[in-house]
Parts: sequence; C-alpha cells; structure tokens
Amino acid sequence: MTTLELDGVHTYYGESHILQGLSLSVEEGEIVALVGRNGVGKTTTLRTALGLTPPREGTVRFDGTDVTGMEPHEIAARGMGWVPEERRVFSHLTVAENLRVAAHSAADSDARIAEAYELFPALDRFSDKEAGDLSGGQQQMLAIARGMVGDNDLLLVDEPSEGLAPQIVEDVVEALRAASADTTMVLVEQNFRLAMDLADRFYLVDHGVVVEEGETAGVTSEDERIRRYLTA
Amino acid sequence: MSLAPLAGAAAQAAPLVDPGTLLSTGGAVDGLQTAARVLAEGIGKAAVYFTIAVGLTLVFGLMGVLNFAHGAVAMVGAYLGGLVLVLFVGANTGTLATILVFFVALALVFAVTTAAGSAMEVALIRPIYDRTPTYQILLTFGVSLIIEEVARIVLTLRGIQPNPQWQAPMGTAPDVLLGRTELLGVGVRRLYLFEVAIGALVAVAVWAFLTKTLYGLYIRAGSEDTEMVQALGIDVRQAFTVVFGVGTGLAAVGGVLLMWDPIWGPSVLLSIDVLLYAFVVVIIGGLGSFTGTLVAAGIVGIADSVTTWLFTTGIVTFPGLSEVTIFLLLVVMLIIRPQGLYGVEEVGGH
Repeated sequence: MTTLELDGVHTYYGESHILQGLSLSVEEGEIVALVGRNGVGKTTTLRTALGLTPPREGTVRFDGTDVTGMEPHEIAARGMGWVPEERRVFSHLTVAENLRVAAHSAADSDARIAEAYELFPALDRFSDKEAGDLSGGQQQMLAIARGMVGDNDLLLVDEPSEGLAPQIVEDVVEALRAASADTTMVLVEQNFRLAMDLADRFYLVDHGVVVEEGETAGVTSEDERIRRYLTA
Repeated sequence: MSLAPLAGAAAQAAPLVDPGTLLSTGGAVDGLQTAARVLAEGIGKAAVYFTIAVGLTLVFGLMGVLNFAHGAVAMVGAYLGGLVLVLFVGANTGTLATILVFFVALALVFAVTTAAGSAMEVALIRPIYDRTPTYQILLTFGVSLIIEEVARIVLTLRGIQPNPQWQAPMGTAPDVLLGRTELLGVGVRRLYLFEVAIGALVAVAVWAFLTKTLYGLYIRAGSEDTEMVQALGIDVRQAFTVVFGVGTGLAAVGGVLLMWDPIWGPSVLLSIDVLLYAFVVVIIGGLGSFTGTLVAAGIVGIADSVTTWLFTTGIVTFPGLSEVTIFLLLVVMLIIRPQGLYGVEEVGGH
C-alpha cells in the first residue's frame, strides 16, 4: 500500500519556484531517502508533504487520502510525523514535556513515552531537564523520540546527522533503525553513504524534480548517474 | 494624561501604609520598619501590576499579538464588576456576602470577557495573522478606541461620568477591607492585602493552567515554535482563540480588582492607564514570559513604592517621581536588554 504520494507538485517560497513538478511515492514499511545537493528542494518536499509549505499545483496523498491544502495539524493528526532539520526541540520545556506534547493524541501516550525512554535511556535520565540544556546529540534523540511517540504511520526525517560528531551519528542511525521498525520513513540526508545504508530506496532530486530513483543496494556516490548531480 | 490613575496626588492620598507612621516618634527614620513598610506597599502594588499585565504577556507569548485593547477591556471589567456589586450589594449586605458577590462578579466578568475575546480573535484578529504586526496593532488600537467611546457615551447618557471616577462601586467595599491592620508592627491597608491575595490567586491559577494542563503545555510549546506545534498535530489556531480569550478575561479580572481601589477605580481613563503600566511590566519582564511578568511586577511595584515613600516623606518634592522612575526603568531596559529580563529575542507568531 502506498503511504505517501506526491504527484507533480509545484511549491514556491514567494516567487521562488522550488519544486517544479516533483513526483514520488513511498510504500508502507519502506525507508526512502531523498538525496541531492543543498537547495534543490529536499526539505521543501517534506514541508510540502506535511502542508507546512503547501503546493500551488499537484497533489499530495497520504494513506490514500488527498491531503493537498489541508492544515498541517490535520495532516499530522492523520499520522505524519516530522523530525525537522536543526531538531527544533522546545528548549524551555523539559524532555518529558517535549514528549508529552508530541504524544498528546496517542491513546496509550504513557506507554509510548516509556518505550521512547527504553530506546533512549539518556532521555529518561534527563527527563526533568530543559531540552535546551541537552547536547546536540541528545536533542537529536529527543527530536526522533518526539516523532516516534506521536502514533505516526510515516516519519519525515530531515538531516538527522547534521552537525553531530561521528560517534553520535552512529547512535542516531541506530535510533532511526529502531524507529523504522514500525514506521514508514522518508529521510533527507546530506551524508550519502549514511542515507544509502539506512534506506531501501532513494530519489535523487535536482532543481525541484526527481532525476534518478531506485534501490539503494550497491549504489555509491561514485556512480556516474549520481555523481554528476551531487557535485557542484 | 493621567498616568497611574490619579497617581501623584491619589497615591499620596491613599498609600498602602499610613504616611504618618513613616517617621518614628523621635523624628528619626526607623530604617528597618520603614523598609518593611515600603516593601509591604511594593508587594501590594506589584500584585496589581501583575494582575493587569499577565493577560497581555500570555497573548503575546503564544500569538505574537500586541493587544492594544487590553486596557480598554480592563476598564470594561471595572465597570461590569462595579455594576454587579452595585446591583447586588446594599447597605445591609454582610461582609461575607459582599465578598461572595465580588467573587461572583469576578467569575462572571471573566466568563463574559473571555467569550468576547475569543469571538474577537476569530472575527477580527484571525483574518490578519498573515499581515505585518502593524495591522494587529492598528486593529486592536481601533477596538480600544471604539470600546472607550462606547463606554463614554453610555456613561454620559446615564449621567455617571466621564470625568470623575464612578464612586458607587467603591462604596460597596465591605468595612473589613477599609481600615488598616497591624502586620509586624506596620499599619497596612486591608484592601491592598486583599489585592495581594487576589493577585496571588491569579498568579497561581495562570501558573497551574500553563504548567499542569495539556493546553498550557501547548501554549508554552507554541510560544517557542508554533510551526513545530502544528506539525505535532495540534490546532494552534484553536489555541490562539483560547489564549486570546483567556488573556482578555484576565485583563477584565484586573479591572474588577481595581474597582474597589481608590487609587484606580472605574473610569474611562483606566483604559490607557492599565495599558501603559501593563506594557511597562511585560517589556521589562520580557514579552511573553510569565516569570518575567511576575518579577517585573515586583520590580515596578517596589520602585513605585520607594519613590512614593520619597515623595510622601518630603525627601523629594516632585510629584511625578514615581511615574518618571517607572518609565525610566522601561527606557533603561530597552537600551541594555531589549528582550527584557526573561524574554527571548523572538517569540510566538504564526
């Protein structure tokens, strides 16, 4: 079953035409990576799917329902979660409060938060600490945990390894693997190798359209069809 | 323009503590006792400043909307509260019954103005969220002018005002609140103790709402990042409506609190007076910060109290000392820390 489908979407920031007819689909249980250079529209694709930057043309379908033009909270309430670039944790709220906000709609919110603590013991240790006082890696864990506790069928994960030390990135990768066990995932990631390791399929985006797509197995950044789009 | 309503002169006329007791019998100032008196007066004033400012900061914190109609709503609250008291309290009404009526008025006014504030948000503010803050300021300022003028017309037609304070509600204050009481050897006006109690009640209620309810959690999260809150499946627009309504209701509660106060009292001018002082408090504390509002109300209250003492004891003869000092605090804060004591550089918004 197709979880997310973008069909010929055109998205703008003011007069800047960012997505220029982009189409993609994500099947249930998959991890799909969006790769490409900076500024080609990967983050905008996630924002368009969630309704944060709605498309002017084209359609977005989520779990078979046309959600184009719906408010972001309505789309999110249908089970689409977001782990944004730069984490965007609520820095003046405690770790526990961050998770409570995210788990507000889940019937078993306490159990989900407990599961998140099991997966990220550091968050349990610092549950009463303000999120702004956590390290970058811990904040990333919290952002992922926030996406996981929200009863989501699909998680949109944007640049999870950005600005993190290599050791922390490994932990984040493990966390994402754990999250993907029961959630379909769209992953935007600058680190090509990491994206290929994690994802089942990929879409290569350039100038707001998909220029390549396929299985990730065996794909490297040295492939000619990939390299020419990743190098400036 | 009247700054603290009837400020200089009225503050002199009805200070929290008896000015006559400010000097010891020997003529020398008893430092410790004087400090206690000034502090007690400062806490009393702080309670009033907090109550009139907290709704404004709540609305700005989540929505990024500067509600210039805040003072006008407080003025309406003072009149509506006064009306309830005048209608239901007579010469034979006992103290307990009068205080009960006061709380009924408080609840009634809060409910009515919260509903009106929510309706205002839906009908007037919501359509202009996508425009620059100037539109919100002009709109709420316009609403403020309309409320003031309607109040002026109604009061003039009823032969009540416009100029002097409406004295009738003040006459309903029970005797138990009129005198002074000895507290640690200091003669403190009971009405101000009552205001401190109400201010504390409002502070605890708002604090509990923000920290103990899921809605409060949404508001605190939304004041940091409204887009992220929406992405978590929360209808921020609905939260805006609730918060604007509650903020409006709290403004009116501030008005009801001022109704019995001889320094303030119901008058059309209360609108601008409340707005100015509420802005001073929230800017010093940091726009959108509950803790900041609490601390700033304390600072402004103490500053007001100290300067009032300096004036009432004749150490300084300039009657506008209190207002000048308070607004000087505002200017200093804007220069050295524009975001205020507890404010962040960007809050709320949509």
